[in-house]
Amino acid sequence: MRNMWLIIRREYLERVRTRSFLILTLLLPGIMTVVMLLPGKLINMGGKVQHLVVVTSTPQFGETVRQRLLSPVGDTGDDDEANEDTSAAKPNPEPEYIIDLDANPTEVERAVLRDKVTSQAIDGYLWLSDDAIASGKVTWTSRNMISFGERSRLSASLNRIIQYERLAKNGVTAAQADGLLKPVKIEAVRMERGREAKGSGGGKFLEVAVMVMLLYMAVLLYGISVMRSVLEEKNSRIMEVLLSSASSTELMTGKLLGVGAVGLTQILVWAVMGIVFALPAMAMQPSFSDLQIPPGVLVAFAVFFLLGYLLYSTMYAAIGAITTTEQEGQQLQFFIIIPLVLSVFMLAPVVRNPDAPAMVWVSMVPFFAPVVMYARIVVQTPPVWQIVLCLLLLIGTIAGIMVLCARIYRIGVLIYGKRPNLPEILKWLKYAKA
Amino acid sequence: MASIEPPIMRSTSPAGTGTATAAGTVELSVVRKCYGDFVAVDDLSISIQPGRIYGLLGPNGAGKTSTLRMIIGIIVPDSGQVSVFGEPLRRAHMDQFGYLPEERGLYKKMKVLEHLVLLAQLKGLSGAEAHKRAQSWCERFELTAWTGKKVEELSKGMQQKVQFIGAILHDPKLIIMDEPFSGLDPASAVSLKDVLLELAKSGKTILLSTHRMDQAEKLCHSICLVNHGRAVLEGDLNQIKARYGMCNVQIKYDGDARFLQETRLVQSFNDYGNHVEVRLAPGADTQELLKLASAGARLSKFEVMEPSLEEIFIDAVSKPAVSKPAAGKPNA
Repeated sequence: MRNMWLIIRREYLERVRTRSFLILTLLLPGIMTVVMLLPGKLINMGGKVQHLVVVTSTPQFGETVRQRLLSPVGDTGDDDEANEDTSAAKPNPEPEYIIDLDANPTEVERAVLRDKVTSQAIDGYLWLSDDAIASGKVTWTSRNMISFGERSRLSASLNRIIQYERLAKNGVTAAQADGLLKPVKIEAVRMERGREAKGSGGGKFLEVAVMVMLLYMAVLLYGISVMRSVLEEKNSRIMEVLLSSASSTELMTGKLLGVGAVGLTQILVWAVMGIVFALPAMAMQPSFSDLQIPPGVLVAFAVFFLLGYLLYSTMYAAIGAITTTEQEGQQLQFFIIIPLVLSVFMLAPVVRNPDAPAMVWVSMVPFFAPVVMYARIVVQTPPVWQIVLCLLLLIGTIAGIMVLCARIYRIGVLIYGKRPNLPEILKWLKYAKA
Repeated sequence: MASIEPPIMRSTSPAGTGTATAAGTVELSVVRKCYGDFVAVDDLSISIQPGRIYGLLGPNGAGKTSTLRMIIGIIVPDSGQVSVFGEPLRRAHMDQFGYLPEERGLYKKMKVLEHLVLLAQLKGLSGAEAHKRAQSWCERFELTAWTGKKVEELSKGMQQKVQFIGAILHDPKLIIMDEPFSGLDPASAVSLKDVLLELAKSGKTILLSTHRMDQAEKLCHSICLVNHGRAVLEGDLNQIKARYGMCNVQIKYDGDARFLQETRLVQSFNDYGNHVEVRLAPGADTQELLKLASAGARLSKFEVMEPSLEEIFIDAVSKPAVSKPAAGKPNA
């Protein structure tokens, strides 16, 4: 016990004291922020004022179109839930238009407009002649590819205009048309712990995604560093000295917990930084404000994150023990990443149908449990026996792998040279009883 | 001693036969270790008495390191029995061992003093005590200026000294060193040797392996010559020499060299120009050779020589069939 504590302390202090730890801890949140915000900024930068020409058969219709295009987006009506709360004073990132009207839909005029587009006098033109509308196919001509969002917005606006126009032609007034065309919205209500819970499940998915991301990051960053530290000991041959003082299990657990604690420290620092800096900003974003995480889920998060982290780190240590170089280790790393990636693939079906028997059993498999069982708990609390069984299996597996690893470790570190094959490893396991 | 017995007890014999009569600090009885098909240690039996310096000698790949590792308990013998301090090897014994592995290993990024303290703490010393002892040993080995430096900043020789200190810091009863002198400059080697002798005087048992016969010859009380995992010779160094010894004669002469052809007395000879070295035939008497030589030639030197360990070793190894009977134990 004392030896294990000494090893943990060494592993922890040695790592936390390094400059690279400090730099990574402080810098990564900054880099992440930039990476996350930059694409948004870049898109907004494209949103300069567009100068376009609307070509219609009559000036009145052109005016209607202009009004519609310049009015706020939400009014288009049949846009879906993305615009649920446009009424809130939301900064409007939509591109704005300067719209000129043109009531001369002739081929000559079209040629002139084309030239204007080419010479950059205007950004584009919309061909809305009566003929075009009758044929149900209007054209938007511009120099740039139209973005997907812009296209659907345009199309929604135009459809609305044209529907009203057609109805008007058939003697339906605008007020009647409003009533006829009023869209129906679907509100998602889930039954959660006997209560109705609003929200489309997007928040739930986020909770799970955060877990997956953190677990993935922690496993990749620190699992590899466990592997590396085992390899380092092998290559520096210090194992022999250590093994003459402590048991391989003490060394192994000490190393895992020490390196593990470094990862947790880093994540904790990031979490604190995130809460301090990001919370005010997040509170402003309406999509985050309905994200209320019940304490039970937080506990589940902590438990499954720690266990998952431990499980995968142990597997990394084993790889470190049976290989001699980092390259070799990285090839085998594949076997660790696969279950992790598989459990990510299983997220969608699990969130959709957390109680399906297949999902229940998948969530029991220790290699998937940290992600899948956690996802089930987030979406809909499974029966207690399932959680308990899952935890027992997970802990048992970790302990089992740890014991096996300690044995492989013990012999693997003393044998230099070629990588052992499976029969050899099995033989080691049998021999290394002490 | 029990160890001459044929290796019947190899299979599963528990503690008992091998250890009952064991008085030594370390007793190996018919210990065997294989790596795959390769037999690294082949039914080796040795006995190391307390307070002695015991040398495990042999060429590279003879099985020395495997033997040491089995004594320390890092690897487990396939068969046979290892006992220390009169009882079968247990984990609890480990804290009484000080081990210097052949492949030196230290954490490169750790500071020298911290590293030494860690090693001693792992052996059960308190932090404060470990600190105090590490300081004083560093003084002795002139490392004081380096205690705050990282291990990787030290020269190889200095690292080796650090490792040596790490092995003895906790005042172990049994000190096991694998090639302790390799990589040391002559001055450091001397101070290391002095420390080892001092430790032996204070009652510690020291087991060292080396392939340098001259060092073993100066330092060890007892030796075991190992080749291909087998003990070729084992026992008290002086007795071994005595048994092998007095069979070489160095002669400086002037005149008739016919005495060299006397096959009854001379087995072989080596002419070095200003002298010849004669190897006596088995059972030959040096006095008879002296008489014969002086009869025909004028002698300026006639010296009966003790064979060097190196010669003994080469002799023992080069004719395994002949030396095999002697392999178990020198029956002196």
